[in-house]
Parts: sequence; structure tokens; C-alpha cells
Amino acid sequence: MKKSPLALLLTFGVLQTSLSAFAATAPLDLVTPVSDYKIYVTENVDTLAADTQKFTDAIKKGDLATAKKLFPTTRLSYESIEPIAELFSDLDASIDSREDDHEDGVKADDFTGFHRLEYALFSQNSTRDQGVFADKLLADVKELQSRIAGITFPPEKVVGGAAALMEEVAATKLSGEEDRYSHTDLYDFKGNVDGSKKIVDLFKPQLEQSDKAFVAKVEKNFATVDKILAKYKTKDGGYETYDKVKEQDRKALAGPVNTLAEDLSQMRGKLGLN
Amino acid sequence: MKDSDSKNAPISTDRRRVLLGLGAAGAAVAGASLTGNAFAATAPAQVTEAPKSEKTQDHNAFHGPHQSGIVTPRPTAGMMVSFDVLAQDREDLERMFRTLNERIAFLMTGGPVPQVDPKLPPLDSGILGPVVTPDNLTITVSVGDSLFDDRFGLEPVKPKRLQRMVGFPNDALEADCCHGDLSIQFCSNAQDSNIHALRDIVKNLPDLLLVRWKQEGTVPAQAPLKPGQPPESARNFLGFRDGSANPDSNNQKTMNELVWVQPGSDEPGNGEPAWAANGSYQAVRIIRNFVERWDRTPLQEQQAIFGRVKTTGAPMDGRTEADVPDYAKDPEGKVTKLDAHIRLANPRTAQTQRNLILRRPFNYSNGVNKNGQLDMGLLFICYQADLEKGFITVQTRLNGEPLEEYLKPVGGGYFFTLPGVVDSNDFIGRSLLAASAQTTKTA
Repeated sequence: MKKSPLALLLTFGVLQTSLSAFAATAPLDLVTPVSDYKIYVTENVDTLAADTQKFTDAIKKGDLATAKKLFPTTRLSYESIEPIAELFSDLDASIDSREDDHEDGVKADDFTGFHRLEYALFSQNSTRDQGVFADKLLADVKELQSRIAGITFPPEKVVGGAAALMEEVAATKLSGEEDRYSHTDLYDFKGNVDGSKKIVDLFKPQLEQSDKAFVAKVEKNFATVDKILAKYKTKDGGYETYDKVKEQDRKALAGPVNTLAEDLSQMRGKLGLN
Repeated sequence: MKDSDSKNAPISTDRRRVLLGLGAAGAAVAGASLTGNAFAATAPAQVTEAPKSEKTQDHNAFHGPHQSGIVTPRPTAGMMVSFDVLAQDREDLERMFRTLNERIAFLMTGGPVPQVDPKLPPLDSGILGPVVTPDNLTITVSVGDSLFDDRFGLEPVKPKRLQRMVGFPNDALEADCCHGDLSIQFCSNAQDSNIHALRDIVKNLPDLLLVRWKQEGTVPAQAPLKPGQPPESARNFLGFRDGSANPDSNNQKTMNELVWVQPGSDEPGNGEPAWAANGSYQAVRIIRNFVERWDRTPLQEQQAIFGRVKTTGAPMDGRTEADVPDYAKDPEGKVTKLDAHIRLANPRTAQTQRNLILRRPFNYSNGVNKNGQLDMGLLFICYQADLEKGFITVQTRLNGEPLEEYLKPVGGGYFFTLPGVVDSNDFIGRSLLAASAQTTKTA
């Protein structure tokens, strides 16, 4: 019988776990995965910038069909690097805020970015007057690119990002609230999950030193999520709209997603990070 | 087997004190230490000083033939939570029940929370502090019709009367607050204690349970009874006393007849599976009250609709709440209208005695509707040994009652409350799993 971590502690009567149960991973050990992660993020933000250029070009040309097609794939790389992108809260708000982040909803002056364009493309079915939002998005993404190039990645933010991404999935992707007009949530879902898994993969050697079972459980849950997501892949390599996801699959995703959020919340501590 | 239900009331230090003849003053002396009360005599409390309760250590026995939270006196705070079960197979399902069992046993007993490395998330939300106080908590686990689908092989052992709730004519059921694979009723002295327990369960079973809907409610506290004064029921949000004609929850025989599925009811024709003995059917209804409109209704009309006097709770032909209306003397409904709520719900005839249900409702208040009207009403919960003879029959008699104009049931569901956990070798849901394992083998 498998037991929850708390249940195990209770079973063995461990009321006084030593407060330094997790020896800090030698900072040197973290240098390689953190710098590897920076490469990953840099590649993704480069992709994001290139994709955003094409996406905004299509909008400015009035090419609704192309703009619609590029919307979900352009976002994918943003979603996979959210832990770093969110370090710049001003840009995150202007690039990725949703209608309900604004008291005045779609009419709010500061409602810009991907979801403002999504609203025009998918709800109003138009590119009209969107040039200003397109320009702003491209400028913001380029600004993000240059800011990322200029910062040192804090290890605790990198490691904590694995859990943060799964919290994103649990909070806004499972409910289909993220892309409420386009229903392309599965792309974002995939971006978040891949971004989270990337971090786990990079720190796997260090994690396995302290807790092999933890890594095995996490990988099993990632595999379950991937398996369910794969059911909704389309022939062109994309994903079905979220309304096509069966109720039983939404529930089947909730278990591993919530468990990953719960388990990955221990990752910083397991690596001895503050 | 000794039945612990005879001691329905929680174990209270307060009660013991009274029994010992000490009273509050004696307790203060016996306590010796400088308590908040003694302090209060000299200096008024600070704004942020917490309200005091002497009942935070009250607890209910977890082990017993029946689950607690059914014939247990209703405390102030109640919460009904419905879950989707995420378990993928029977092994997962057993792990779910065993983990639930461990958590409930701990939460209802209380105690210190294990400390872990501060670099890790703490094991407990901490909202009750480092030592969890039971605060009179009961946690009652029930299973819904959908748990008996093809996922776990439970179909052959489904309780005979368990079914998916079907809307009654006046219902406007909202899909996101109906049904569920599993319901958990939390009751305690304070909303925070219920929330603490729910968060503990959510945190410990992330891969097994997903909250589907939740409704909290309260019971307004009453002033202590004067000597010789008969007990009074709390009032609902329509201002009427609710629960007046409830069967006697301290009468074991009555409870066996009306509330608990009896051992031996697996006889042909009756058909409850043997494992279900000592369980009960739980009907939950989230019943919105149109309170603005109700408050604009003349008192005599309100009373005629209910069939009771608003101030006292007495029936129209009685003096006190406990008085029994004599409908035989009033065949044309001149005193108590024929369609009055209490007359339809409980016609007080020999035949309708079998339809009595044990009501355990809470008042709820959720916020405001789009039209600016208050979103509040009754979190109706009732228990019965036979769902069809009980709630379904009663509610069917109530269809079309004048009170409907002020009510709109919007959610809820039917569940089967599992038999109690008899001792530390047992766990919640064990008899259900064992029974279905047998049928799987013999099939």
C-alpha cells in the first residue's frame, strides 16, 4: 500500500524530524543545471521573439486566418519559460494578462498582449484596429528578450519554477480559463508541463542523490499527463481545442497535475535551497 | 457490540465541570493559572485579541458502529463538500479510503503537527496553530451513485436505494453544485476548524480526490435554556424554527428504524447489501431562499405557508414548539392549511411515520446575485434508512407547496453514508471494498 508522505511520518511517529534533514546541495552542483536552464530559456525566448514577429505581422497585414493559426504556437514558448518571464511583472502583465485581471475587463486601457489580441481574433473575428496591440506585444517580447539576457538566474527561482508551472496548470489550464476565446489551452498546458519537466530533468542527478522514489513518482505523473495530452494531438502537430477534452480526461489530468504541484513544492527544500 | 451513539454529545470539559459541581467559578479556581478571563477583569481586551472558546478541546469518538456527525448534536459550523474520485483502480481506491481514515482519525482527535525542515512546505496549513484542536469536529464520509459505475467493480454491491438525484419540479439544479462520487460533511464549533480539516484532506489526497463543490453553513446559537424550558430549534433564514418535528436522535430504537440501515436487511425483497448495515442515506439540497420577497410577505401568510407560529415555533393549534398538531380535528385545513409546509412534510398519520427523516440543516449565505438579491438559503441535509421512503417521498409530497414561491433548490445530491469504523483495525469503506472483492471473485 502506498502512503502519503504525511501518513508515513505519522505511521512511524516521526514528530521531530531533524530540522536539517536536507543537507544543502553544494552550490557548485547547481551551477551546471542553472546555466543549462538559462540556455533553455534563451532559446525559448528567441523562438518567442521570432514567432511573435510573424504573428504580429499577420495581424498588421489583416491576415486573420494566419494570425489565428499562429496564436497558440507563438504562446507555447512563453508558457514554457513563465517562471523567468514572471520575474518581470510589468512585462508579464502587458504580455499575458487576461480579461479578468482587469476590473474593466476587455475595455480596460491596460489590457494588452496575447489575450487582448486573442479577444479580437477569436471573439470579434477581426484584426481591425489591432495594429497598436500587435506593435506593443512585439516591443514587450523584445524587451523581455533583452532583460533575460541581462540577468543572473536565481537558483531558487529556477528550481521553484517547476512547481510554479504546475500551479499555473492547476489554477488556470484545467478549467480552460486561459484561452477563453480561442480554446487553445492545450498548447499552454503543454508549454507549462514541458517547462516544468525540463527543470526536473536538469536537476534530476541532484534529486536522485537524496530521493530516488521522489523522482520516480514525479516522472510517472509527467508521463500520465503526457499520455492524456497526446490523445488530443492533431495531425499538424497541434492540439484540439479544450472544449473537445472529455470530462473524464479533465478529471484524469487533475490528479497527476495536483500531485505534481504538491510534490514539486518540495523540490527547493530537497535541494537545500532557501 | 456496545453502541457509542448513546453518548451523542461531545466530551466537553465544560460539562464535566458542571457534573463535578464546580461551575465556572470553581473551574477558574481549580485552573489556578491566570486565565484570559481573570485578566479581562482588570483590562479590556485589545481589538485583535481572539474571541475565547472553552470548547476547542471537545471531541467526538471516531470509532463506533455508526459514523459521527449524524445523530451528533449539530454544532455551529457545517460544511458539505462533494468530490470526484480520481483513483484509477481498486488499489488506488483502497489507498484513498485508508488515507482518509488516517486523516479523519487524526483531525477528530487533534494533537501536535509533525514539524519538517523549514525549507519544505509544512505538512499542515497551520491555521489552527502547531497543535490541532479537535473543536468538536465530526467528519462524515458518504459515497455517491457514480462511485458504483464501472471503474471499481462496485456495481454489484450498490445500496439498493442509492441513485442519482433527479430534479423535482421546482428545482433549478446547477450542474456545478450537484452530485459527486463522494461527499464529506464537516461539522465543528467554528468554520476555521472545518476549513482546516478540508485543507488537510485536499493536501494529503491530491491524486485521489478533486473537490467538485462545497457549501458551508451555520446554525445560530441560542441563549441557554431556562430551567424547565423545553428545548428549542434554531431558526432558518426565513425566521422559522427548523427541525421541530425531528425524530428523537437519542432514541436508539427510533434511529434504528428511521436512520440506520439494519443488519439483516440483505434479505430477498429488501435487498440492502450486508456491508451497508449501520450506514444511512444522506440527501443534500442547496435550497436558495428568496429572502427579500419573504420579508415583504405578511406575517399571517408566512405562518399559513409554514403551518407554524413564527415567534414560538408552535403549530397553529399549539402553544409551544414541541406541541403536536392535531390534523384529525382539522380535516378541512381551517387551522393548519392542507398545503402548509409542515402538514405536507409530515401528515402525522400512522402510514407516514415510516417517512420520517432526520434533518440536520445549516443556514448558508454566499454573496449576492447579479440582480442585487442576497444569495442565501438552507444547506439541507437529512439522513434516513431508506432514501425512497424518506426524503424522496417527503419531497414529492411537498411538490407544489405554496412555500415553493420563496425557494429554489439549486444543488445537492444523494449519497450513502458508510458504516462506522469500529476499531483501529477497521477503516472507512472497508466493508464496501471487502464485499465487492467477494462478488468480483465469485462472479
